[in-house]
Amino acid sequence: MAAPSDNDPWQIWFHQYGPKLLLCARQWTRSFADAEDVVQEAFVRFWRHQRALPGEPMALLVTSVRRAAFDLARREGRRSVREEKAGADFDVSDFHAALDGDERRSAVEAALHRIPAEQREVLVLKIWGELTFEQIARELELSPNTAASRYRYALAALRKELSSADCHG
Amino acid sequence: MDDELQSLETELQCLRPADPSRALLTRIGRDLAPPAIARPGFAWRWRWLGALPLAAACVVVWLQLSRPPVSPTANAVQKPLTEVAADESALLKPVAAENILVAARDEGFVTLADGTPARRERREFIETITWRNPRTRASLTWTVPREEVRVVPVVLQ
Repeated sequence: MAAPSDNDPWQIWFHQYGPKLLLCARQWTRSFADAEDVVQEAFVRFWRHQRALPGEPMALLVTSVRRAAFDLARREGRRSVREEKAGADFDVSDFHAALDGDERRSAVEAALHRIPAEQREVLVLKIWGELTFEQIARELELSPNTAASRYRYALAALRKELSSADCHG
Repeated sequence: MDDELQSLETELQCLRPADPSRALLTRIGRDLAPPAIARPGFAWRWRWLGALPLAAACVVVWLQLSRPPVSPTANAVQKPLTEVAADESALLKPVAAENILVAARDEGFVTLADGTPARRERREFIETITWRNPRTRASLTWTVPREEVRVVPVVLQ
């Protein structure tokens, strides 16, 4: 991911990376509206103060989003229920319909919500956050091996969920 | 990782995350708008400068009126003050005017109220106007800073 230059309009940059950030934010917030709030806070801070910093911008933004999500949860006194309620807002789809059809996209999305939160978190950061296992490990305070293992478990769990859904559907 | 998992991974990579709402874009645009444009008080910050020439002219007129005549004659009949003021001030003629550009900055992109991206340029000038009374050689120089902000809408390809 290229760092934005001083002349880049934020709209172009946000158009490309905003959806990914929002999906990452959804892992740590209980609703789509909360996710948008933390993305707004993190992105504005990044664009004003951090875009010239060295390092990978997406990793910096993901860190910022995660902190903003924790701050929001703390402010609203619901940190204790954050994990169980994260991603519980099913009314808003996390993805565009881009697979074989909307049915398949819905099945994958539903399966994603059924796998353990700590595995889904790593999966989202790896695939849509475009972070390396080392970056994910730093972000989540894990070892890189644990991050890689959780990723594999997440894929396996997802496959199992989808197979199960196929059998029952 | 087996082929099936790799295939699933590829399938996931094809999933495109949903776009943020228009409201979020608007909110971010508002947050990132430069404060000079966003703050309605900006214009007032420089508006007081407009009163400067008037104040300076008043001071000059007052000084001229309050100064005693240089060589009064014993039998001279003094004109009424208002008449003197009118005569003296009428003799001040503008003799020089200049407008010097002292700084120009490209402040990057901003978002207008309707969401249109635009480029903002800020220019700072020093304006100087000099008046002189050819008879008494008294002169009045007015120097004032002036700031000009241009917002030029851009079309993104």
